[in-house]
Amino acid sequence: MSGPNEDNTQLSSHFFGDLLDSIIADVASECHRIAKLGLDRNLEEEEEELRLSAQARARVADPSNSGETNNKYVVDIFGQTHPSVASEIFECMNCGRSIVAGRFAPHLEKCMGKGRKARLKVTRSSTAAQNRYSRSSPVSTYSPYSNSTSTNRLSNGTSGVAGEEYSNGTYEEP
Amino acid sequence: MKHSVNRPPTPDAADDQGKEPTLQEIINIKLIESGEKERLMELLRERLMECGWKDEMKALCRAYIKKKGRNNVTVDDLVHLITPKGRASIPDSVKAELLQRIRSFLVSAAL
Repeated sequence: MSGPNEDNTQLSSHFFGDLLDSIIADVASECHRIAKLGLDRNLEEEEEELRLSAQARARVADPSNSGETNNKYVVDIFGQTHPSVASEIFECMNCGRSIVAGRFAPHLEKCMGKGRKARLKVTRSSTAAQNRYSRSSPVSTYSPYSNSTSTNRLSNGTSGVAGEEYSNGTYEEP
Repeated sequence: MKHSVNRPPTPDAADDQGKEPTLQEIINIKLIESGEKERLMELLRERLMECGWKDEMKALCRAYIKKKGRNNVTVDDLVHLITPKGRASIPDSVKAELLQRIRSFLVSAAL
């Protein structure tokens, strides 16, 4: 007949097993929950995505891949290709000419007054901004308003145009 | 008439003959009522976490889930996966400590 000690041992083991089963069930339930909610997997998937994005970045940064300037057939993220020079034609809002979009910036430079010849294109309604950038031009033969005769207003000696002028800090009312 | 009206009467504990609570059940009740069972569980949980047993089990689960796909796994699967390995990999010191505590309780409760 088993003595109380053996009974105790047996009972203890039984209860220990009981406790263990409960804890195992808890751990299983927790892992199951994390798996189903995708909480844990995120780490692995993120690592995967990081890897892929690093790869993609390397491909983009790779100089052997042709960039926009030397390959017309580069594809952007929407899958479109663009010619290296924009080819749309539209009307310049300044002079009204038809301009190719890719040549618009140089056109505007001339049209709006950066260049030497631009000043000659001055019209009545244009404001002082035009003369601000004019450089070497001598006395202009073309002054619609000769209200201001002072020639010192602009350091390069050009005479005024209609309207206010801002130059070198001086300001004169017409 | 409600269906529940016709249910069999609640078995009266005193009348029930073959259902004497076993020693095990009695002790179980004592464990629970005294709060000792809860304390023992917490102790075991803590010990198992300290020694990394819980992490091992979680790793097993993760590997299994990865293999099977996370939508094809049930809690039951995981329990069956962990139980044999879990029982086998309990550190001896932890087991001894818990057994000792349980035995003490049995001794004190039996009196």
